[in-house]
Amino acid sequence: MSSVTDADPADWRATARRRLTRARDFVDETDRSALAAVSIGSLALLATLVGFLTMSPLTVVPFAAFVVAVGYGWLRHQALTAHAVTLAMTASTILILGLITVYIFLEAWPVFEYASVEVLGVSVPGLRLFTETLWSPVSEPIGYSLVPMIHGTVMVTVIATAVAGPLGVAAALFVSEIAPPTVRELVKPGIEILAGIPSIVYGFIGFTIISPWASDQFALNGQGTYLFVGMVVGLMALPTVVSVAEDALNSVPESMKSGSLALGTTDWQTMTTITFPAAFSGVSAAVLLGVGRAIGETMAATVMLRNSPALPEPLYNAFYGYETLTSLIAARYGTAHGLQFNALFAAGVVLFVTVLFLSVGSQLVEKRMRRELGGEE
Amino acid sequence: MSRVTESALIREETSTLEAIAGVAIGLCALLFALAMAALFEVVTVTDSVAGLPMSNVLGGLLAVVGVVVVGFGAASYRGLVPTEPRASAGAVAATAFSAIWFVVGGLVASQTLGVGLAGGLLGGGLLGGIAFAVTAIPREDVGSTLPAGALALLAGGALLTGVIGPGWSWTPFDLNATFFPPIVVPAVVMFCSLLGGWAAAKAYGGFGARGRHLGAYLLVYLNALAIVAVLVGLVAFVVFKGAPGVFEGVTVAAGAGPSTTVSAFGFSHTVVWPVSWPFLTNGAALMNDVDGVLPAIVGTVWLVVGSVLFAVPLGVGAAVFLSEYAEQGRFTQVVEIATNGLWSTPSIVFGLFGYAFLLPRFGGEKSLLSGMLTLGFMLLPLVVITSREAMLSVPDEYRDASAALGVSKWQTIRSVVLPAALPGVVTGVILGVGRIAGETAPILLTMAGGTFVPGSQTVDVIGGFQFTASPPFVANPALLEATSALPYQVYALVTAGVGGSQLNDPEAFAWGTTLVLLAVVLSFYAVGIVTRYYFRRKLHQ
Repeated sequence: MSSVTDADPADWRATARRRLTRARDFVDETDRSALAAVSIGSLALLATLVGFLTMSPLTVVPFAAFVVAVGYGWLRHQALTAHAVTLAMTASTILILGLITVYIFLEAWPVFEYASVEVLGVSVPGLRLFTETLWSPVSEPIGYSLVPMIHGTVMVTVIATAVAGPLGVAAALFVSEIAPPTVRELVKPGIEILAGIPSIVYGFIGFTIISPWASDQFALNGQGTYLFVGMVVGLMALPTVVSVAEDALNSVPESMKSGSLALGTTDWQTMTTITFPAAFSGVSAAVLLGVGRAIGETMAATVMLRNSPALPEPLYNAFYGYETLTSLIAARYGTAHGLQFNALFAAGVVLFVTVLFLSVGSQLVEKRMRRELGGEE
Repeated sequence: MSRVTESALIREETSTLEAIAGVAIGLCALLFALAMAALFEVVTVTDSVAGLPMSNVLGGLLAVVGVVVVGFGAASYRGLVPTEPRASAGAVAATAFSAIWFVVGGLVASQTLGVGLAGGLLGGGLLGGIAFAVTAIPREDVGSTLPAGALALLAGGALLTGVIGPGWSWTPFDLNATFFPPIVVPAVVMFCSLLGGWAAAKAYGGFGARGRHLGAYLLVYLNALAIVAVLVGLVAFVVFKGAPGVFEGVTVAAGAGPSTTVSAFGFSHTVVWPVSWPFLTNGAALMNDVDGVLPAIVGTVWLVVGSVLFAVPLGVGAAVFLSEYAEQGRFTQVVEIATNGLWSTPSIVFGLFGYAFLLPRFGGEKSLLSGMLTLGFMLLPLVVITSREAMLSVPDEYRDASAALGVSKWQTIRSVVLPAALPGVVTGVILGVGRIAGETAPILLTMAGGTFVPGSQTVDVIGGFQFTASPPFVANPALLEATSALPYQVYALVTAGVGGSQLNDPEAFAWGTTLVLLAVVLSFYAVGIVTRYYFRRKLHQ
């Protein structure tokens, strides 16, 4: 990997001029027909995008032009076309991912505007979504508060983390440090397969077995508890925690462990005093990612909860589960119109931002750990 | 640590006292297993065993564990057992024990004695403080056995005397939930046996570094075992519940199955399959002997094919550019972080995007095509991540050697980098496909309709292509119709209520569908994992 080239803000003009010269050289050196193919292809692709965004039925025409241009280029100037096509693919990947991000924000904006509040003369959009507690999109008084759902998501996530965190880290220690090789070869794919069980299967078991059982055992009114949804979601987040934490533990250099063992410590002492502290930030990144998984889990919550946004009495009562951000979207997308529909997007934005924050945070933590351990990034 | 030097370097043969500690560990294992059985209602807590109520038996065993653990600690303290304890059990154990005893003291004071919240806090604080002192101040052999043993004794006593027993119940505060013995007894017994087992394992190892090692390993092994047991239990449970539905009406005989006609160049040949498997080859209809899930299976297959066709070329192409052509710098780093972030974005957010953005562009109705694209969007970040990782792990020597032969960059990529990176890409894609094949939330919003789909509505993508005179010239109604898929079918069965439907045996149908879904998804995972092992082994040869 080449080193990071940081452009000094002062001489970006020079860089731009150099780029321009390079581009001119490129144009001069390259075959005319290759240039034509590439430029027709890129223009056609751009037109396809515009057509798609404006829902034009003629979108197929520029797309066909793009295919023809690429086909011609591939036959005559393969290397240049490959470069251009992979660049176009990168651009479209980034564009698609950016489009998703921008679009959910745009769709959520009306309800943020509706719920804006003047604070000290400044209008803060969306504040009422988080300060009120009433979700009632149809009957008066109208309210689009996300607080009950955020509360539900927090309850489920806390319980899930309490399950997935300690158990996941212990399992990662087992897989990476303790287990004999043959056992590891069995347990590791087992945990991966656990990650593969679809959430709706957990949801189905939860709905048909756990919810009625819990309702019966604890003499609850109706079915749906945050406690058991949290435990099921924790089980789902467990494999994520295990595999990322295991990577972190594995990245501790063997020499550090051997040095400790050579001093006559037991395996466990080496783990607690050397391996675990060295990998601590990586392990916490694993738990963060697990938290992200738990927040985004949809189907088990949708199927097992009551789907009526409300706050439980008292607030910490985990035996009554109403709604999470994800289940709100899944349960109401079909019947929602107007502002309620935008409110679902607002729930999506809250989810998206929270999980993105966790994901980026855990990546930065992990990067720092690898740098500190002196390995490659 | 001073005592370590005094004791022998090599520990003697297993002594009687060590055997006692071993028996305590075994007893804890037995208790744990019994409590587990009680929790899953294999045995009932209120039943009687040999004339005694089950809860009394459990309590008695727990009390024995408590006595042995405390006794071992005392014997070690008096020097009757050769052990190597440290000066203190440590801050971690002290904190854990004080937290446990805080809860116990608080509950006993506020609930059993009824002195209210303040009294509960006071009682909890008092007991927690004592537990902290008892754990942290005396030598390790007392500090790690006394609090654990005392808890086992207390719980055992409560069960033995019937303070917690048949007929007991507890409604805490205003939670509107009641605790009954069938939950509380196994939970208490499991917790105490874990704690007692940990203390006994420490004692067995003679405390000190070796004792801690054994105690910790016991818990870690147990945890790993529990996770594997949950996995096996889950899969076995679904197989057990689903098998009757899936295998209903299966006949194996010559000419029993459906016939397939293959025709080419004017010749046609009809093959009659020897297996008839109605659950996989039928739809759901009133007249069927056996209702099946064929439309959902075909829907899932097309869904996976479509999203792979969309995401894999795009993602691999982007990865080629990012790892081979682009300068490795801030740009690629940002793209990497963004793709990682999008891979962990909740699937429901993708579904919402597909519902609001893609649906209006494909006829305004839920359709197979928008489902494919939505799942393709979900798969895209993963393909980019894994392909990029695979390409970056191709050693630079390969590229240099190829470049030294005078070939162009693109030829190097095509004939050196891509083949070397292929195993990683393939494995990543298979595992990613396993995940999206089981994904419900996005297709719930973008693709799926209909709870019980008749066999005639099985989607036929290849036969659906038509050419039209008006733009967009190519039409495929099959792609633009709502169809079913396995995960959605399970969800629809849940929301429709397993009872009220036209099916012969709705419960068997629902579990059967779940089993088929699980089998499809797990076979993707199995194939992915096996592929990885195969390539890894080939690499190490």
